[in-house]
Formats: sequence, structure tokens, C-alpha cells
Amino acid sequence: MFRFAPYIWKTLWRHRTRSLLTVSGASVAIFVLCFIGSIQEGLNRMVQGEDAQRRLIVFQENRFCPTSSRLPEDYSRQIAQVSGVTDVLPIQVWTNNCRASLDVVVVHGVPAAKLPESRELRLIEGQWPAFVSRTDAAVVGRQFALRRRVRLGDQLTFGSMSVHVAGIFESDSSAEEDLIYCHLLFLQLAESQTAAGLVTQLEVALDPSAEPDRVAKQIDEKLRSGLVPTTTRPKGAFQTATISDLVDLIGYAYWLGLACVGLVLSLVATTTVMSVQDRVQEHAVLQTLGVRPGRVMRLILAESTLLCFWGGALGVGLAWTILTWGNFSVGAEGVAITLRPSSAMIASGLGISVILGSLAGIIPAYQATRTNLVGSLRQS
Amino acid sequence: MPLVEIRNLTKRFRKGDEIITPVLDLDLDIEKGDLLALMGKSGTGKSTLLNLIAGIDQPDAGSIAVAGTTITSLSRGKLADWRAAHLGYIFQTHNLVPVLTAYENIELPLLLLPMSSSDRRKRVNFALEVVGLSDRAQHYPRQLSGGQEQRVGIARAIVTHPTLVVADEPTGNLDEETSRQIQTLLQELNRQLGITLIIVTHDVDVASIAKRQLRLEHGRAIGPSQSPSAAFSGL
Repeated sequence: MFRFAPYIWKTLWRHRTRSLLTVSGASVAIFVLCFIGSIQEGLNRMVQGEDAQRRLIVFQENRFCPTSSRLPEDYSRQIAQVSGVTDVLPIQVWTNNCRASLDVVVVHGVPAAKLPESRELRLIEGQWPAFVSRTDAAVVGRQFALRRRVRLGDQLTFGSMSVHVAGIFESDSSAEEDLIYCHLLFLQLAESQTAAGLVTQLEVALDPSAEPDRVAKQIDEKLRSGLVPTTTRPKGAFQTATISDLVDLIGYAYWLGLACVGLVLSLVATTTVMSVQDRVQEHAVLQTLGVRPGRVMRLILAESTLLCFWGGALGVGLAWTILTWGNFSVGAEGVAITLRPSSAMIASGLGISVILGSLAGIIPAYQATRTNLVGSLRQS
Repeated sequence: MPLVEIRNLTKRFRKGDEIITPVLDLDLDIEKGDLLALMGKSGTGKSTLLNLIAGIDQPDAGSIAVAGTTITSLSRGKLADWRAAHLGYIFQTHNLVPVLTAYENIELPLLLLPMSSSDRRKRVNFALEVVGLSDRAQHYPRQLSGGQEQRVGIARAIVTHPTLVVADEPTGNLDEETSRQIQTLLQELNRQLGITLIIVTHDVDVASIAKRQLRLEHGRAIGPSQSPSAAFSGL
């Protein structure tokens, strides 16, 4: 088959405008597919990790937006008494945009001293003592720092508050890398002088043997007699419910991805059919010279697969570049989904391209091998 | 033993409501080294017979054996293999692959045979030399004249050292002078390289280079004759 590689290449090059248009069309569709896939992957990473299953979020009952949930910080003491709870982290959440956005800023105010032990964050710039000792200090996730070009020592201003960047961290959780952590009291007072003692949510760490749903139920029952009723859910379920609109949108985007697959298939199939129809006589000549029908079929399949693969590679490369350099995150209600390129995205993008290319070539390739040789030769 | 043995060969096809029988119960032997001209009026089955011998068309009855292989009983795939190894086909309209150079067009049939690249190179260069186009090896078909294209087509047909070469109106699209050059080339291939050649032609001059002429009429052979003029006397 490799002996015919120059023939395949030159055939594609003969109609280079058509080939290039097909490749570019396929690349755009595969790019969209990869982009949608990365959003889906980001959502899966966020809601399916161990943290998402083994940590609970206590939120004000019937509230979803972080600006509307106000729980007494003191609840953390009561929750800590529930069996199976190992730690409680009060969190004040501030976000620049409650609606869906591609550049959401989410600030978590937490007890500074507890942050290094309650999160698996690795400082790549700065020191923990510098963060703990300074009231207006903040540590910034790597993804956010890259997107906003934040550097150590910068002063960041959001709304009415301004924080000093004391560190930049990385984490195994991509969602964490899109957050900014600052001191709890600082964020409470920055929002309102009367907000001290109130937090948006409480994050509960569980004993490995504890059953999350049972503990959640116990927490809500215990706090029912308190000032503010609560709803406690595993972190993943909480995040999914919080951004349910966005999750629905991502679900629709999945269909858009499938439409892209169909688009590539029909585009490459059309190009291949046109190419085969142009060369009915040429294929008859090849078969007269002794090329087996099966080999003619493989030659046509190779052409359609190559076109689609090149388009796929271009689309995957484009998606990789934009996702790498853009450091996007799509979020709502203070929950952000980070968009990252992944090896799974590359493999699936290229794999789908090859499969689509092969499928697109099957019918025209079969037709080329079934034509009557004498009749096709007479076309000359 | 003849190189080509044709027995009781019949080919029919439907044209509208009419059944046409271009070849009917034909028997024919062709010896190794022969140069046979198939002649006759349009529609008398010359090209049909040629295509049957070339294995690109299937008869309704009868058999064709070439060098002991009954090609009429081979599958499509096996027939393709047989053509690659044993048949050279010269088309009226050259039918070169436009995206390939003259060299690559001639090399094309060799890609189907188990052969090293150096052997292929030797064969192609020899074929180019035989047809006098060594200096046009890297030219594309669009850069060649009609006569040169036909020479490339001939080189492509002989490059595999086939058992049999068939030519369908090889000079049909050429001017008189070029046609004469191609006739001479075909004659030399037969005489000097011993290639067995079957030519379908309307042209009495082309037929004149043949060792034998066979005239077809109503699907049957009414030759052979040694004299081209005799063969054409009934036209």
C-alpha cells in the first residue's frame, strides 16, 4: 500500500483547493468537538473526583447563589460534633459574576492557618507564612494567574476589595487552580461591616468510614433548630445542582458535538464522492492494469481518511493551543469548570477523525470497485 | 500449443430491447510471438473480443486460455492479478494517470509485482529507452504530445514483460506521421522483443504491420488472411 503513497498524495494535491477546503471544514468541526469535549471533561473532573464524593457542602436551604447564602460561622462547631466529621472549613465566597461566564473570578475566604492543611495546594511561587501573616494576602490558583497574568507581589482589585498576591499555587484539582484564597475575616469585612461571623458555606471533611449521605442528613437535622436551615450535599452533587443551568447547556452542547461529527462525515463523504466520480475512468484503468478492486477501495479509503485525519489533527492542534494559552474556565454561581487540553481529548479527536474518514470513504470506494470496466473505459 | 486458445466464445449484451451478439461461437488460436490485427466494421465485436481476451469483460459462453490459464474461470481478484503479471493493455486514448509523471505511469504496473525498487528502476528506464522517451521521464502527461503519451502508454504495457499485449485502436487519436511512428514501434516490439501483440484497428496501414489479420463480421471470424488488402476487401 505504501508503494502507492505518491499516487494518493498527488491525487489529493491535484484538487488542492477542494482538499484544503475539506481539511479546513473538518478541522473547524473537530475543533468545536474538542472544545465541547474539554468542557465535558472539566465537568466530570469537578463532580467525579474523590473530593466531590467524600466532602460535604453545607449551604443555606433553598439558596444556590453564593451571594444569597448566609450561614453562621459558628455552625462549624456544631457540625464538628457530628459523628464521622473530621474537619469543617467555613468559606465565604465572592464572585464577580453569578451568571455563566468564560472569565469568572471566584474568591474563597477561609481561615488562613487552616488552608495549607485542608487543601492539597502546592505553592509554586511565594511562601505560606507570608500568606498567613498578612491580613489582605491571597494565594492565587495557577490557571487564574496565567489567564489574568497575575504575578507574585501584585495587588489585585475586585469590586471594593484589594488583595496582595502572596503566592501562586498548583493543585491536582483543576477547579482549585481557578480559585483565589484569602483570609476569611478580610473577605467578610470587605463585603460588609456586618458580615463578620457569617459565611457562604461550610465544607465538611469526612472520616473514611463515614457514609456521606447519612452524615449530611445528620447535619441538616442538627441545624434545623438553628437560625438558618441548611441543605447538605456531597460537594459534587452540590456543584452540579448549583450550576444546573450550565450542566443542561453542556448537555445540549453534546448534541452540538454530535452534529459536528455528522458534518465532518458528510463533508468528507461529499468530497470523496466527487473525487471518485471525477476518476471513474482512472479507476477502471488502474483495474485494467491489474490493481485489484480491494486495493482500489483501500486507495480511496486512504484518501478520505487522510483528508479527515489532517483536518482532525489541525482541529485538535487548534483546540490544544487555544485551551493551553487561553486558560479558560466557564462558571456560574461561584463554581468554575476549568477547560484544559488532555491526552484523552487528543486521542479521541484524532481517533474520531480516522473513523469518520474511513466511514466517509466506504460508499464511494465500494462504488468505484463495482463499476463496469469496459463501460468506464469507454467514457474516454 | 497456442499461447491464446479461444473456444466457442459468445458474448451478448442488451441494448434497449435488442440483444446484440458481438461475438458468437468464436474459435481462435494465437501463437506466441504473433502480431494479430483484428479488423471489421464498427460494432462487429473487435473491441469486445479484445476486452474478453484482456479479462476485463466476461463471456456468456466459451472459454479463453492464455499460456495454459483459463482466464474465463478466474475470480475478479485473480483476474486482476493475472492482468498485472501477464497482460499489457494499450488504450486508444492513452489513459495515463494525469497526476503521475511519465516515469511513475510506467512504474505503476510494477508496483503490483513483487519487485525491488532498483529492479523497477531498471525496467522503467529500459521501457523508456525502448519507446525513445528517456528525456521525458519526469514530464507529466499534460506536458507531452499525443504521440509521446501513446509511447508512455506502450512503455507501461510492456514494462512488466507481459505474456500478451493488446492494443485497442492504438493510433486512433494520432495524426498520420505519429501514427506511422507508433506502428513502427509496435512492429519492433514484436520483432525484436518477441512480444505477442493483438491490435484492434480500422486502419489498413496499422493492419499492414500484422503477421495475421482477422476480420470479424456478425460476431464470427471470417479471416484469417495473410493479406491486409484481402481482409479489407469486404469493407
